[in-house]
Amino acid sequence: MLSKKRTISELLNEWRYDEELKERILHWQTLEGREAKYASFPENLHPSLVKALQARGIEQLYTHQRQAFDYAMEGVSFTAVTPTASGKSYCYHLPVLQKIVEDKNARAIYLFPTKALAQDQKNDLNELIEQSGEEILSYTYDGDTAPGIRQKVRKAGHIVMTNPDMLHSGILPHHTKWVSLFENLQYIVIDELHTYKGVFGSHVAHVIRRLKRICEFYGSKPVFICTSATIKNPKELAEALTNESHALIADSGAPVGKKTFLFYNPPIVHKTFGVRRSAVLEVSDLAKRLYTAGIQTIIFAKSRVRVEMIVTYLKELTRNKLLDESVRGYRGGYLPSERRVIERGLRDGTIQTVVSTNALELGVDIGQLQACIMTGYPGNIASAWQQAGRAGRRQDEALIIYVAQSAALDQYVVNHPLFLLGSAPEEARIYPENMLILMDHLKCAAFELPFSAHDTYGEYEIQELLEYLAEEGVVFKTSEKWHWMSDRFPAHDISLRSASQENVVIIDMTVPGQTKVIGEMDRHSAMTLLHEEAIYLHQGTQFQVEKLDWEEKKAYVREVDVDYYTDANLAVEMKVLEEDRSRDYKGGMISFGDVGLVAQATLFKKIRFGTHDNIGSGPIYLPPDEMHTSSSWLSFSAPEKWSEAELTDAMTGAAYAMNAFIPLFIQCDSSDVAVVPQVKATHNEQPTFFVYDKYPGGIGLSEKVYELWDELLSRTQHHVASCACESGCPSCIGAQDSLQQAKKKVLQVLAILQAENE
Amino acid sequence: MSYENKILQMKKMLGKKTTTTIKKEDKPAYQKPAAPSYTERWEKAGLTVVENEFGIFFKRQVHYPFSYQHGHYKLQSFFDALEKWQEAKFEHPYALGMNEKVLFFDTETTGLKGVGTQIFLLGFLEVSEEEESFILTQYILADPAHEAALLFASMLWQKTATIITYNGKSFDWPQLETRWTLHQKELPKLRTQRHIDLLHSSKRLWKNDMERMKLKSVEEEKLGFSRIGDIPGYLAPIIYLDAIKSGVPDALIKVLLHNEWDLLSLITLYIHSTKLLFEETSEESAKTFTNIGKWYADLKESPQSVKVLEKVTKQFDALEAGNAQYYLAIQHKKNKKFSEAIDAFVASLHFVDPRKKLHVLEQLAMIYEHQIKDYEQALYYTQEGIQLIKKNEQWRMEQKQKWEISWEKRLHRLGNKK
Repeated sequence: MLSKKRTISELLNEWRYDEELKERILHWQTLEGREAKYASFPENLHPSLVKALQARGIEQLYTHQRQAFDYAMEGVSFTAVTPTASGKSYCYHLPVLQKIVEDKNARAIYLFPTKALAQDQKNDLNELIEQSGEEILSYTYDGDTAPGIRQKVRKAGHIVMTNPDMLHSGILPHHTKWVSLFENLQYIVIDELHTYKGVFGSHVAHVIRRLKRICEFYGSKPVFICTSATIKNPKELAEALTNESHALIADSGAPVGKKTFLFYNPPIVHKTFGVRRSAVLEVSDLAKRLYTAGIQTIIFAKSRVRVEMIVTYLKELTRNKLLDESVRGYRGGYLPSERRVIERGLRDGTIQTVVSTNALELGVDIGQLQACIMTGYPGNIASAWQQAGRAGRRQDEALIIYVAQSAALDQYVVNHPLFLLGSAPEEARIYPENMLILMDHLKCAAFELPFSAHDTYGEYEIQELLEYLAEEGVVFKTSEKWHWMSDRFPAHDISLRSASQENVVIIDMTVPGQTKVIGEMDRHSAMTLLHEEAIYLHQGTQFQVEKLDWEEKKAYVREVDVDYYTDANLAVEMKVLEEDRSRDYKGGMISFGDVGLVAQATLFKKIRFGTHDNIGSGPIYLPPDEMHTSSSWLSFSAPEKWSEAELTDAMTGAAYAMNAFIPLFIQCDSSDVAVVPQVKATHNEQPTFFVYDKYPGGIGLSEKVYELWDELLSRTQHHVASCACESGCPSCIGAQDSLQQAKKKVLQVLAILQAENE
Repeated sequence: MSYENKILQMKKMLGKKTTTTIKKEDKPAYQKPAAPSYTERWEKAGLTVVENEFGIFFKRQVHYPFSYQHGHYKLQSFFDALEKWQEAKFEHPYALGMNEKVLFFDTETTGLKGVGTQIFLLGFLEVSEEEESFILTQYILADPAHEAALLFASMLWQKTATIITYNGKSFDWPQLETRWTLHQKELPKLRTQRHIDLLHSSKRLWKNDMERMKLKSVEEEKLGFSRIGDIPGYLAPIIYLDAIKSGVPDALIKVLLHNEWDLLSLITLYIHSTKLLFEETSEESAKTFTNIGKWYADLKESPQSVKVLEKVTKQFDALEAGNAQYYLAIQHKKNKKFSEAIDAFVASLHFVDPRKKLHVLEQLAMIYEHQIKDYEQALYYTQEGIQLIKKNEQWRMEQKQKWEISWEKRLHRLGNKK
């Protein structure tokens, strides 16, 4: 490989004649760029803001920015759909600054999904304010804000930039300290609207209902300004999130650069088992080519483990260069200081290749990257476009390589490029009706302000629920009102981010006397990633978990140097608690309702890097984790003459295949739902497939599946039948241990399920 | 049934408004809430019910004659303390004027922080010249609906008084402000008052001497008062909730007593602290008096600081007086009394912690080098300092390296001078 700098088009020209690549790249697709659409500055735009824009070389606005300004000035809440690099921040900065210049008492809250994003926007905003010469105070307010300036932020900040978590536990429960903010709140900006989906979005929907309740108490009625990446239902999501009607700005006036998409499938290395070469290795090879060509690249991988594996491979490129930091990992578990260093390195170019989990999907400004590699399908179209948008900001030519893993959906996408390039992105759904989430926030709301006997909470009638809270002894009813009456601080018991409310802290004790916290992880992931003897990778360094103190939620790790990683199994048991709905389906019965499940990490395997051989295993001793959630299940009669073992294997394979296809229909992340087969379900003794929401109380996903079984089964069957392998592989029914009739049996089960009852 | 299951059972109870039209009735002006059903019962327990324009509250008043003894002190010693401040030749943040109106203040609340924490008891203790007594007045929240009545009754929107509390600066007063803000539409503004927080002074006085700075520990160790049959403060929230739920005030009365003791102890703590600041008691440890000397030093009251510290060096042995010598030396150096400074630094050298010891060696080296110009001695202390850094195992590596570099610089410079 030549080690010389090349442009993307030069590189692509070479690749066209590369025999090896030609075979593996199934599709080339080039999307041409688009010209910008402009609008003039609004007539009333304050001269100081005109000056600030001109200082940045801006003489006119994109059409969507102008529309945003006009709506905001009219007091209309709106949502703007803005692709990456379309100057979305002007959609809110301009009206907000205009309002504050006109009225120095006016206040605004900017809500970003993470601290890092708020930090990033603060610098940009402060620069803009400086260029305008106006005296406008903007501050970030989060866990990192120094106690010394908090008072000042509360009293004098015109613009407070924060995140939902801080709003939830640091601002709303102390609203009396923020009187000047809440009395004068004109705008609430919600950036990255599309990230508020699922559990997190459902929580945030309640945080916003609480916020609106407090605004009403202080007599303000703020206008909402939301910006979103491309999703199918931005207006609907914004309205569900804010409980307010929104206007929609769907047309971006920003120009778009030329993008080349490559759909890359790793070669099959084992025909019988249909095993392809590991996508991680393929991605690493492609990344090396881009690295040598001097192309700044971002690589996305779905799991933390994969990120760390790719970093490990790529670091070999720089092994002989001391202090070379040009290859870095970036993911959720890193400490803020570490992340800032990486963000800076990307901007100034000292980092050439960054490997990231979805943490970087968000609009953190990392400057210009030329290429993007996706390790596998990120689970939904919207995410894929977000990742692709990382390459080619500022109208440059960009290269996007999609590398399929062996998972079913991955293979589907690599063979159907139009699915990715041609279909509408998914809906982002929230489910604020989840009773557990709702009750949690009802408590917080009662803590923040008493409810009267006629009050509703958002759109909900809650008098009966308050009755329950009174029985629980946390609220007290006087003749008129429900008052919080408990020494608890409810916001502290509620995390907006994770299903399990407690995180496990990871403690490095490699150097005696200098133990330090290097990260944290949610409880559910910790069961399979931080069990004792697990290999935990952090910034490419391997650590072994020596002790997991489950009671105290602490994992003690020590640095090691081994040539394997670990992978753990999770066993799940289901119990039907309540059947809300059911109907006959062909030979069986489909139901929807509440289930109780018990998950337990059972054993782990040690898997060698590169070859992916299983080189050992061990048991995991952790208590089972219980969950109450919603589920849709399909029961059928056991086929005659099948042994229980045969049926188990067949159902396991079928469940594997179904699980992979659910995101095609209900448009969620494949990790939000799970499919579990039970050969003899406890409630009816029949073979049953359960599809459940992986969050206590459910988030409305399996409820949709209840309507979709027919399509799901036929699509699954079609995919399994057309898979190239002989008897089952990771792309269809999962890897099989031995050469049996697995695939045939799975297809038989799928056929039985769809056979009309005679 | 688990909590989770219970909540999920309630799914059917959740109503949802189908229309988005918000019924917007005009908010009525303040409506006086109804008196709770247990009003009579609480009156029988010794509380007085009082009504104002915002509702009702309960009140309890106790008169304490000036001669009343609480622990080591009679309450009237408070006036001796005031006289001391009158005669003092230095400034001090805890000084009170002869005619300053004083309000000893303590609250009981339903929690520790946030808007959901209610104040259910406002305890006041004030001087009444006419009645020659201290008057305790407790205002008790009738139920949460009557909060405005309670706050209004406190008159804190009208009167001027110096508030004296224990941890009131970070707890009681901000809580009061929070409650007041919630009623800002109805109530006149809460006045800002001068505020003396005796927790802060106690920390200054008894740092390194007392492990826990709870008022109860201070009472037992310093004020000669121990409580019998006291309700622990953390039970107060649940007791109040129970009282308004059941209407039975018995346990609540015990909380009132707890609050009463807190207030009485505030007076004697103020008396005791004042005596200490004027060195009128000798029962305290060298540590306490050293703390006092240091406090004066921080207040830039050097003569007072020197006076207190010198007394420590005379009354206690070399070991106990180590820190006093150290702070004394710093004062001497500030006052350019270099030979006294050297003596005091040397006297402290073997009786202070390593971090201070290093500072002492540095100071000695500096004085010998720059003031006395005795490079031999300066060199000696510099070498001692370097030894100390090298031998110490507690300090972090980077810190040690940084120090060593600067000390080596000094060594090098002295070598040239010699």
